[in-house]
Amino acid sequence: MIEVSGLSKKYGHFEALKSISFRVEKGTVFGFIGRNGAGKTTTMNILTGLLKFDKGKVLIKGKELSKSRRSLSKIIGYLPESPSFYDYMNSYEYLNFIGGIIGYNKNLKKTTGELLEKVKLTKHGKRRIGVYSRGMKQRLALAVAFMNSPEILFLDEPASALDPGGRKEMLELIEDLKDEKITIFLSTHILNDAEKVCDRICIIDEGRILLTEQLSRLYKTHIQPILDIEFEDNPEDFITPIKKLDWVENIKIERHTASIYVKDIDTARREILKEISKLDTGIISYRIRKSTLEDIFMRMVGKNELI
Amino acid sequence: MNSFKAYFKKEATEAVRTNKYLILFTGTVFWALLNPLMLKLLPVIMENYVTTEIAELFSYVSRDNAFTNFLGDLFEMGTLFMVFSLMGLIAGEVYGKKLTFPYSRGASPAGMVLAKYIHYLVTINVLILIAFITNYFYIIYLFTDGILSIGIVLKSALLYMLYYSMLLSILIFFSSILKRSILAGITTLVLGYGLSIFNQFRNIRSYFPNYLLYKAADLINVFDSSLIATVIISLFIIILLVCLTIYRMKKIDIS
Repeated sequence: MIEVSGLSKKYGHFEALKSISFRVEKGTVFGFIGRNGAGKTTTMNILTGLLKFDKGKVLIKGKELSKSRRSLSKIIGYLPESPSFYDYMNSYEYLNFIGGIIGYNKNLKKTTGELLEKVKLTKHGKRRIGVYSRGMKQRLALAVAFMNSPEILFLDEPASALDPGGRKEMLELIEDLKDEKITIFLSTHILNDAEKVCDRICIIDEGRILLTEQLSRLYKTHIQPILDIEFEDNPEDFITPIKKLDWVENIKIERHTASIYVKDIDTARREILKEISKLDTGIISYRIRKSTLEDIFMRMVGKNELI
Repeated sequence: MNSFKAYFKKEATEAVRTNKYLILFTGTVFWALLNPLMLKLLPVIMENYVTTEIAELFSYVSRDNAFTNFLGDLFEMGTLFMVFSLMGLIAGEVYGKKLTFPYSRGASPAGMVLAKYIHYLVTINVLILIAFITNYFYIIYLFTDGILSIGIVLKSALLYMLYYSMLLSILIFFSSILKRSILAGITTLVLGYGLSIFNQFRNIRSYFPNYLLYKAADLINVFDSSLIATVIISLFIIILLVCLTIYRMKKIDIS
């Protein structure tokens, strides 16, 4: 559905995208994850035709984006991170305005009503958008993205402005869209959300793609056990000898808990208690856990920082 | 055509909700009403502040004087009202990120620019026509003497309409290339007022759009052959700047 190869973009001397390539299959949810400033929104803006790129090729449904920008925009829906509307309009008027641009005259009134119902804004549909909360604006933006039943949806941090209830609804909505075979390109830094709904994950950092993998395969190939050890005292003061061990890759400390990322779980199991007993401190708890998407992400990004 | 229609409707809604129609009405028709009245009341107001001889100088105002006085005021004040109310026409949309949704849903830059330009072209020209006709009947009622006729007034109105259509194209162009609306407004004002200086130079003045204003106030001979070059140049400027604005909006990055 979407094929990106060697895509580069510069802002002055700053290289926002460094020849990135990936592929998104039809009807899948593609999770595009990265830190703030990694290049997620730049990629989104390029793929939605809002931003021009310097080098590379973008094919959407086999058509070259740079040549078929306008015709492709008819099958694309975009939810930007910070949607901006005309504050003096109400939701019905804004959806009618966008419907007019698309050339969607067939039952426009009925469609806008249904869209507002879908995003639970019917009650506020006739209020000025200027008085909406950020979450309400996000929901209206989603209705705009849904207009004309797009085949591809680009969602840039769709849940970032929503309350926990709204976030849950958003994820359920994405699940429903998946069932309707709509291709979803989801940019997020909420890894828990990505883990719940995505089929494929792509990690971007500093304008480079670090990894693109099927989520199910990702756990298999990048699985790395972590030892979570809770100490009586702050481990910052005495953890240095453990860091130097061959089988330890990285240590993350949060309050009194040290999460030890290990290269070899068998050696770690045998050695860890011996090594800890050499430290002058007490242990409250000790457990082995499997890595989550967040752990994989932190590892990949951590490695990239060393490059 | 879809984008043109959608944006034309949007501009009309915006003009009502953000009082742009009211501001433009104040900048044109309000002066048409206020100007003759002030001229009529000026001698009475001045009576207490200046000597009788000086006050008498203000007491005689012909219809022609009243009309040319209105033209001057309209140029000075009307231009300010127009420029400051419309300076964000495109800059406000681009830098307020209002174009993200329309562009991502296939809005045509040409449709958008033309809708904005034509909407305010029609609005301003209708208001100028109303202002000139209102001013004419008011002057006829309040003053005597002079050659002023409805024919002269309509000819002058036509020249003012062309001038403001040209000024609007300058404004929309600068609004598309400058990041801040206020800079677009000030640049347009400097050009609008500044070009009047060429009216002092007999040999070249007809090559500058502000000659339209000069001829509009030449009540004895509003239309003559000297206007041909001015009209052609003004129309050329309009077409050129509107095309450049469309080109700019096609090339601009919306993010």
